[in-house]
Amino acid sequence: MGNFVLAGNITFLNLGDILQLLGSNASTGVLRITSKYAQDMGLIYFFNGNPVNASLGSLAGLDAVNSLFGWLDGEFEFIEEKVAGENIIKKSRMQIILDCLRMLDDGQIDKLGPVTFTKKSLHPLNKLPNQPIIRGPLIDYTYVVDEEEVHAGNKIVMEGKHGGWLWVILEGTAEIIRETPKGPLEILKIGEGAFIGSVASFLLLEGSVRSAAIIAVNNVLLGVLDSRRLSVDFLRMSDQFRSFSISLDRRLKQATNMAVDINLNNIKIEEFVSGKQVIAQGENVEGLFTITEGEAHIARNTENGYVPLASLYPGDFFGHVPFLDMGQEPHSASVFGSKDLKTSELDPDILGKEYNQLSYTFKSFIEHLANCILATSMLACEFGKNAVRKKPVL
Amino acid sequence: MAIFNIKKRELECKIVYYGPGRSGKTTNMEYIYKTYKKQVVGEMVSVDTEGDRTLFFDFLPMGLGQIKGFDIKVQVYTVPGQVQYKSTRKLVLKGVDGVIFVADSLAVRREKNMLSLKDLQHNLKEYGINIVNIPLIMQHNKRDLTGQGVPVMTIEQMERDLNRQLKVPSFPASAIIGESVGATLKECLKLTLLSLKKQIKSG
Repeated sequence: MGNFVLAGNITFLNLGDILQLLGSNASTGVLRITSKYAQDMGLIYFFNGNPVNASLGSLAGLDAVNSLFGWLDGEFEFIEEKVAGENIIKKSRMQIILDCLRMLDDGQIDKLGPVTFTKKSLHPLNKLPNQPIIRGPLIDYTYVVDEEEVHAGNKIVMEGKHGGWLWVILEGTAEIIRETPKGPLEILKIGEGAFIGSVASFLLLEGSVRSAAIIAVNNVLLGVLDSRRLSVDFLRMSDQFRSFSISLDRRLKQATNMAVDINLNNIKIEEFVSGKQVIAQGENVEGLFTITEGEAHIARNTENGYVPLASLYPGDFFGHVPFLDMGQEPHSASVFGSKDLKTSELDPDILGKEYNQLSYTFKSFIEHLANCILATSMLACEFGKNAVRKKPVL
Repeated sequence: MAIFNIKKRELECKIVYYGPGRSGKTTNMEYIYKTYKKQVVGEMVSVDTEGDRTLFFDFLPMGLGQIKGFDIKVQVYTVPGQVQYKSTRKLVLKGVDGVIFVADSLAVRREKNMLSLKDLQHNLKEYGINIVNIPLIMQHNKRDLTGQGVPVMTIEQMERDLNRQLKVPSFPASAIIGESVGATLKECLKLTLLSLKKQIKSG
């Protein structure tokens, strides 16, 4: 066994960068790439800085390298060791990098990560925004108590009905759809590893009403999650973390409501951002706060003006969450507070520690919520763009 | 941001040809590749991207001397202008040390030139580079078309359009016959190395 000489995350250093780095260093050894979104481990063998062979599941050689370029999330390790065998890959390093990046941008390589986009329609008239598909990491099967199959086109969940079941998608893709006066509006697509259900279902008193319909796009295999075990996980959390996760759940609903309202042109943005700016978009804020009184509004400043993303009320949090990326404040949105806004500060380190101690399944659930918020915020901005276009010229 | 390769005792820096589609970036690079073959390391990599081509080769320019005892190796790239090629552009522009902007002299391409220059500024900014700080050379290409019956812009007009604020060195050129191709690259290398020396001193 050789030694690790380089390791890191591909969200920071992507495969193109790694290949160049190993290339200019004329390294010989094996690059190992793993992702929680993939079952197989990717291996690329280097001789004198040039990739000579690779494998990923049933793929080998250049096909494996091509596919690995689509991984948006994962960890890599480079092990310096002797590499035997013939050179299966004949292309030069830069040729591989530039070819793969082109294929990636042309949509010829499937992307693998928490939020990916469906292939761009080549039809010039199709101006619909690219639809993201939210996936999750591989599921811990000990939390799955049963499997259910839903055929393409059938409803998994009906909007407005009560229900506390929690599922995870094991295979296939589903669509989240909201009923609006203008007809059904497609919000997001969810795929393998995505959760269906809400944290609120653990709160026995609140009885949960499904806020949107979920329809199977193709044949979907669902894993019924062990709600008793998840409830136990939930009850073991500190009060603080429980409110945090419920607030996250509420924020997703808020973001979805906002996106729908923007699509219907029901938003008065002037009122929304009229309060005092508590956090400015892009500001380097470290603090995390809970609202004790008043309300706060989250809005993203875009080329077309502010787009509302969520309204927060007492019990909700806002600020910088170091362990999650919701694609909202402080980096990608501002926070506006009402006059009577009062907050207390939370300790992100304590929350972060608790997050890391959660069961793998619950952690994935929380991460999934954050990814959905991120994608829904992007959708809201897309809708906002279209709304601007539709405005009559005065 | 050039890289010192201690193993090979080389200083790797990056020069990028930028400009609107079909302005002659590829012709520039192909000419350099052919004419200075002895100084080129390895093959030229060519990737067909929609409406444009992405090219790359390694270049060991002679007569440039050394920096801190390191030989200078230049990675020469073109970059696809189309919006969709974000990943390629990111890789190419990351850590770029010098840029050659190839403008098209054809009058019909006037707007394309200006848009592309704006796009360059925008893309550089995305990677934390200010266009006024990076070594930049302007090349007004296709001068050979003057008097051929197609409307061609004057150098003065092109300078006004593209170089009024930047005030960078510029060359009239005909990449197809190799005129001023070497001079453009040489000037860019000169400025790039000066800027690198400055960075190394101050850093």
